[in-house]
Amino acid sequence: MPSRRLEERRIAFQRYKEDVKRDGKPFYPYAMFHDTVMSLVVVCVIVGLAFVWHYTSLLGPSLAAKADPGTTSFVPRPDWYFYFLFYLLRIFKWPNSVILGTVGIPTILLILLLAIPFIDMRRERRLLRRPIAIVAAVLVALSMGVLTYKGATAKEALGAELLADVPNWVKAEKLPAQAVPGAKLFATSGCLNCHTYLGAGGSQLGAPDLSAEGSKNKGITFQIQHLKCPSCVNKGSPMPSFAAFGDANLRKLAIFLEASKGPK
Amino acid sequence: MPSKRNRKEQMLAAAQYPLDWLEERSGLIGGLRYFLFRKVPGDSGWWHTLGSATLTAFLVQLGTGVILAMYYKPDPNSAYESVQHINNDVTLGWLVRGMHRWGASVFIILIFFHMARVFLFGAYKYPRELNWIVGVLLLPLALLEGFSGYLLPYDQTAYWATVVGININGTAPFLGPFLASFLRSGSEIGADTLSRFYSLHMLLLPGAILGLIGLHLYLVVRLGVSSPPWSSEAAGRDREQAPAVPGSGLVNPAPRGVTKRPD
Repeated sequence: MPSRRLEERRIAFQRYKEDVKRDGKPFYPYAMFHDTVMSLVVVCVIVGLAFVWHYTSLLGPSLAAKADPGTTSFVPRPDWYFYFLFYLLRIFKWPNSVILGTVGIPTILLILLLAIPFIDMRRERRLLRRPIAIVAAVLVALSMGVLTYKGATAKEALGAELLADVPNWVKAEKLPAQAVPGAKLFATSGCLNCHTYLGAGGSQLGAPDLSAEGSKNKGITFQIQHLKCPSCVNKGSPMPSFAAFGDANLRKLAIFLEASKGPK
Repeated sequence: MPSKRNRKEQMLAAAQYPLDWLEERSGLIGGLRYFLFRKVPGDSGWWHTLGSATLTAFLVQLGTGVILAMYYKPDPNSAYESVQHINNDVTLGWLVRGMHRWGASVFIILIFFHMARVFLFGAYKYPRELNWIVGVLLLPLALLEGFSGYLLPYDQTAYWATVVGININGTAPFLGPFLASFLRSGSEIGADTLSRFYSLHMLLLPGAILGLIGLHLYLVVRLGVSSPPWSSEAAGRDREQAPAVPGSGLVNPAPRGVTKRPD
């Protein structure tokens, strides 16, 4: 025998069908009129955006430079609707909690979304009588809005500006002379698009701060191997390979990293 | 000589004949008639247009995507140049590409708006749970369309965002490394990656999306749409027991929504 709640909602749906049959209006032309107007608005907005993109620079360039796997400075940036996920990776950092940001939270959110009809089984649909739903909706909208905004306005490090920082790094970290070429390479090679070093740089995608990387004493060989294939050495690392730099440059970078024992 | 009236009837019969032919063999005309003239709650309005607006955005993506596929070349040596060619040489190519590029954003925004509307209306409740699930499944598919399409222009942004995007997929426990090497189709992003993304972007994902949209619409038509929850005439609302008027011996009938007949 079905429970009272099951019985109630079946009766309510039966009543819905009767009400619609008796008092409803036909889809054509009534609802279809609204749908058509709205669809026209959507198409106009899309065409309008295409025009704005073509004739102004408000929406950014229509193409960046051709892809170059050997390039040294790039800003890995997804399309704007991924910013909220992208920014999560500034909150959850490599290596301890990065999995939460990359996989954990999106998976949990997706499962929660799928489960909503089974979490909230009441018949009540009026918002004011669904306080948890209101709070959840407001929190989700707010956090997605804030994360998207933060992701959109996240500052990107510029190689030229960072190069000017190198003398300060030498002073603060007491870098030896042989680490300076590596430091310059480090500043101009896009490392700081994701990593931070003495407060400079992007802190993107969960990349760790490298100011005191050398204090871990991992060794030059390890650093070179890691730069060539980050995920081979650190399982699951999202960092791209820098093997295209060539061994000589990687060696310079490794010397610099090993010499960075933290500010003194 | 047939009279004018007769002639008109003949014309009508001639126009009707192919419809009857189709109906007799497929039932499609009856189905279309059911779809068009089915009743929807009298208080449904602009809020209920977000779903069809999302569908429209998707159809724009299909249409512009077909045109772009006529000119695009999924190969690292010519992809970038073919996009430049679309932008600069093909008649209105910039418009089609712009519509596809920004239509994607509009599509995703509308999915979120539509989802928010359904959530706030409580329209996912019995018996529409399954349709909510189908809709939620459409969201990651749409995001994957965005991700796979982002690589195709093969410019610096596209390339490096995809490198990192694939690496992020690789951080997933257990499946991550397999997923990453599947997406990359090798150890480096290259010719196979680009054609793989192209195939996913224009065959597998749109096919899956179309199939789920079909199921989604079938369930909408089968179950009907919910009235706005605040509506005093909401279809299926609880009828309060009207108090008996003392002494009269009469019981007030339950209040009913004012019946508006369209004709």
